[in-house]
Amino acid sequence: MIMKKFIPLIFLMSFNLSAHPVIYKGGWSLSSSNMPDYSNNYVMYSLNQRLALGVEHWRLTKNEINNELGLLKLNHLLWRANGEDYQSNVYLHGGLGIEDQEFETKSTRGTWLLGAEADWETRKLYSSVKYLQFQDVYFGQMRLGFAPKEASFEELQTWFMIQAMIINNVNQKLTITPMMRFFYHNSLWEIGSSTQGDWMINLMVHY
Amino acid sequence: MKKLLLLLSLALPLSSFAGAVTIKVSGMVCSMCAQGIQKKFSSENSIRTLKVDMEKKLVIIETHDGKNIGDETITKLITEAGYNVASIERK
Repeated sequence: MIMKKFIPLIFLMSFNLSAHPVIYKGGWSLSSSNMPDYSNNYVMYSLNQRLALGVEHWRLTKNEINNELGLLKLNHLLWRANGEDYQSNVYLHGGLGIEDQEFETKSTRGTWLLGAEADWETRKLYSSVKYLQFQDVYFGQMRLGFAPKEASFEELQTWFMIQAMIINNVNQKLTITPMMRFFYHNSLWEIGSSTQGDWMINLMVHY
Repeated sequence: MKKLLLLLSLALPLSSFAGAVTIKVSGMVCSMCAQGIQKKFSSENSIRTLKVDMEKKLVIIETHDGKNIGDETITKLITEAGYNVASIERK
């Protein structure tokens, strides 16, 4: 119930949107990732190029029952390599918040989140791994992608990607999702459909 | 008078390019990276134009007449955007 008030708040703040967990100093970011089994929305403000502070909402759905989490979140860019033709990053995630637990018995309890993610990308290739742990739930994700054309700054960039994801306690199995990613300036959209036919829509913007 | 106007018309475009700076940036692999750099430079009053060449990993800026931007400021802005300066060239 608490989360129903929290979601509109996130979207009211979503004039500032994002892609990476930490962006440039003073930058706002918003990300919204959505599939039938889960949704994840966050608004983050980068205090500097290493540290971002914000709020995050998760919905985890099992057998049409929702578990919802609201977290105060801290993201840290632990390591970055800026090569001539590539960039690689390692991020840490941490959060504290409240969970509306409804899977087994209805209750509201304090919760926490810890995790890490790493990526490596060029203008043509992309790869990332992400692992998040919420108390008794873990979220694992791996992505691989390629861009058929190296677009200029003023052009729409198109990527073909594949995502493998597992959320224990929710879908219990590996979900494979072929998807397309579109970049234009500070905005990124992703659409896909899993091999089981589940839709996926993601939006990320930096501001 | 005609000669004076001709001289002025030749001199103005030349002076407007006096502050051109070409910055080679490491790690600028996507438009979102470039947008972050663009955003950081937008707060600088001395900047007249900014262009991004993703292919060559270049950020090309032109300053307003009589204004300049130092290497230290450029490096600070690129670093705060999360990237590294590989080189700075001035024309």
